[in-house]
Amino acid sequence: MVENDIFKALADPTRRAIFEKLAAGPMNASTLRSGLDISQPAMSQHLAVLRNAGLVREEREGRFMNYEVDPDGLALIARWLAKYRAYWPARIDALKALLKDMDQ
Amino acid sequence: MKDPAGETETNDLVLEYELDAPPAKVWRAVSIPAFREQWLPDGALADATPLPSPGDGEIRYRLRDDEPPFLESVVTFQVRPNADGGSTLRIIHAPPAPRLALAMPAANDDMPCLMRAA
Repeated sequence: MVENDIFKALADPTRRAIFEKLAAGPMNASTLRSGLDISQPAMSQHLAVLRNAGLVREEREGRFMNYEVDPDGLALIARWLAKYRAYWPARIDALKALLKDMDQ
Repeated sequence: MKDPAGETETNDLVLEYELDAPPAKVWRAVSIPAFREQWLPDGALADATPLPSPGDGEIRYRLRDDEPPFLESVVTFQVRPNADGGSTLRIIHAPPAPRLALAMPAANDDMPCLMRAA
């Protein structure tokens, strides 16, 4: 159910902001917090949700933990979007064929 | 096909198509099950009954992925007249489960651990 977790994790606007900020490159929690109006415990909690969803991974660097986007999680999102980007044009072709066959 | 917004900030997939047929006809094709089934089969839907309609010229269905874990998502079709006497069909496809997650309290200082609800 990894995909489910991913989309739920990103449905929260704060977590989406955190995730987008991390897309710029790995950083620690305090750098991540700067510019975002969010307490340290809340940040830890958001990061835990993102990590459990497979969107973010962490790596210890000395006393600090560095966070970065998990490419596997990103790939799942890309896969879902790519699937439906290809799906809808095919459905619309079928719709156009139907509209030709329908009366008036 | 136009792609006005691509993925919006809510991650919705938004696609727009110009159709030759007038809006009333397109509306029948998207809303009457016997017609809808011919281009958007029941198998693609979690429920053949549309969700409560958000507004005029709008219809909403629950989709279900055709492969595990069979994620469900919501698609909205908006039918509008265009300048050429045809229709603009806008497809707004929301990724799986965001509504469910939005209904949960956001993580903050006062609510330490409410992320368990699914």
